[in-house]
Amino acid sequence: MKPLLNISNLNVSFQNESGTVHPVRGVGLQVNQGETVALVGESGCGKSVTALSILRLLPSPPARFDSGSIQFLGKDLLELSESEMQSLRGNDIGMVFQEPMTSLNPILTIGDQIAETILLHNNISEKQAKERVLDILKKVAIPSPDQRINQYPHELSGGMKQRVMIAMAISCNPKLLIADEPTTALDVTIQSQILELLESLQKEMGMAILLITHNLGIVAEYAARVAVMYAGKIVEESKTEPLFENPAHPYTRGLLNSLPNLANITRLNPIPGTVPDPAQLPNGCAFQPRCPDALPRCGDQMPSFLKIDKLKEDRRTACFLHDTVELNPL
Amino acid sequence: MSLLIQAVGLTKTFPVYEGALSKPSNFVHAVEGVSFEINRKETLGLVGESGCGKTTLGRMVIRLLEPTEGKVLFDGIDLVSLPEKKLRKIRNRFQIIFQDPYSSINPRFTIERIIGEAMLVHKKASSVDIKEKVAFQLERVGLSPDYMKRYPHEFSGGQRQRIGIARALALEPEFIVCDEPVSALDVSIQAQIINLLQDLQNELNLSLLFISHDLNIVGHLSHNVAVMYLGRIVETASSKKLREEPAHPYTQALLSANPIPKPGPKLKRKILHGDVPSPLNPPKGCRFHTRCPEVMDKCRHQAPSSVKISENHWVECHIYD
Repeated sequence: MKPLLNISNLNVSFQNESGTVHPVRGVGLQVNQGETVALVGESGCGKSVTALSILRLLPSPPARFDSGSIQFLGKDLLELSESEMQSLRGNDIGMVFQEPMTSLNPILTIGDQIAETILLHNNISEKQAKERVLDILKKVAIPSPDQRINQYPHELSGGMKQRVMIAMAISCNPKLLIADEPTTALDVTIQSQILELLESLQKEMGMAILLITHNLGIVAEYAARVAVMYAGKIVEESKTEPLFENPAHPYTRGLLNSLPNLANITRLNPIPGTVPDPAQLPNGCAFQPRCPDALPRCGDQMPSFLKIDKLKEDRRTACFLHDTVELNPL
Repeated sequence: MSLLIQAVGLTKTFPVYEGALSKPSNFVHAVEGVSFEINRKETLGLVGESGCGKTTLGRMVIRLLEPTEGKVLFDGIDLVSLPEKKLRKIRNRFQIIFQDPYSSINPRFTIERIIGEAMLVHKKASSVDIKEKVAFQLERVGLSPDYMKRYPHEFSGGQRQRIGIARALALEPEFIVCDEPVSALDVSIQAQIINLLQDLQNELNLSLLFISHDLNIVGHLSHNVAVMYLGRIVETASSKKLREEPAHPYTQALLSANPIPKPGPKLKRKILHGDVPSPLNPPKGCRFHTRCPEVMDKCRHQAPSSVKISENHWVECHIYD
């Protein structure tokens, strides 16, 4: 099966006065039709830059795509013109941003904001668009939609605003929904409302979701597949269950050991040190200075991202601790 | 076990003014009639969603905010009625660690001054030995003493939080309010700070009030946990009890909404509908009744009082009347 989205060897750099930083360094990631893939990592690891690259929302300059391709429905998104990109954004690919408080336009009613996307991508009248908006507001379970449609963002709570963001993102039945930390700004009880909503919308509409998060609990419950990112690279990619049962990369293992758990009262086992400065990455594997299992070669050679040999399931990692084999290119 | 902190009926209302000269038009009922106790060497975890009054409560306990009503007994001394001068003298016995390591330390001060200032004020150090004492505090929180001459912008979030902890420890307090000390940090750094706090607690026999919205963290490092909803503590129990036998419908919902990093068959979620009501006009009767899955008629009119359902387990819910 051909993946819906296929990112390969993506390299993004930012130029500024003090030099060049590489927030994304050779990322490869596939999302299949109707699948939920989680991209996890700590702040500054390049998750959001990867997501914004897919929609080409990074301002350029300073951003530059140095190499790589992003295949979506047979087209390389990096080669499309700006107008072709515009007809794709919000139409085939929807995006939900992290902060519902600041991502909505405060001076437009929520009805107008959702209708804008619909009118842009469909040749219909304003009246028909309004009908569609009402339908979508019902779909995202906003109570009394015929009143809400005329309200402004400040009249809504955080959870309601995030529902409006989701309504905008799904208004044109996208094939792929990118959700960048959709619940980070919300309380747990509201978080579970939003995640359940995304899951039921996915079942109903059959879209794929690329879920960007730093919360491993959310990954375990909602994603079918996970990619773990560290310092601009994907270090491990696997189906969700095997990753949690038997993490292959020392960074993934370290992350899981750092989690306080309601059931264990034993001491946590954190990763020593801190995330390296993206402007001054260590030689070789970027995780090597913090890695408990580092080998001598980790300091000067960069491990490639390959399939782990001897495992039945399709699982890839970038680590010298595993015997890896070259995977057939997709 | 000896009692260190005893809060009785703490209440805080903030007036809302419409014009500069008018009388208050309304009141925000941030915390209402909250009581709890903390023993020496123990941690009380305070968990709740944003806006429920956790931070207001934490600040009232050490009188960074004046309570509208109620009292706080610290080692038998009522902090609320203590005159300013006397309060100042005993402030070295309780300290606070703030949530945001970026805005809670002065960017224009060196680390030496940030940590040392309070020691000089309280005469725990003099200009002769201040360097030595600051160095000791830095080492205690896992930072190099060479950092003394640097400024806050040179440090990462995790390091800044260590500086905040060193500042709180500088006066050798007996009690520290930790107001979401790890919520601004990444997972791997979070675990480092949690371990540091636990080590320091054991080493220095500290009592902690640990405020967080993260149930996993609170459950991990607290002896007792208090669950707060809209200005009230709705349930208090030992960490284990709360995890295994949550009694209040809100606690049950919180636990159920908490995503667990272990894949497997999905549990049936208890999803709460709606949003937290505004503390400007908290619901009549039980404050949780607008969202409660097990609401009864009584809950709409009558506020429940705290009931002891087993040893060290208190609940505020009509189900247990």
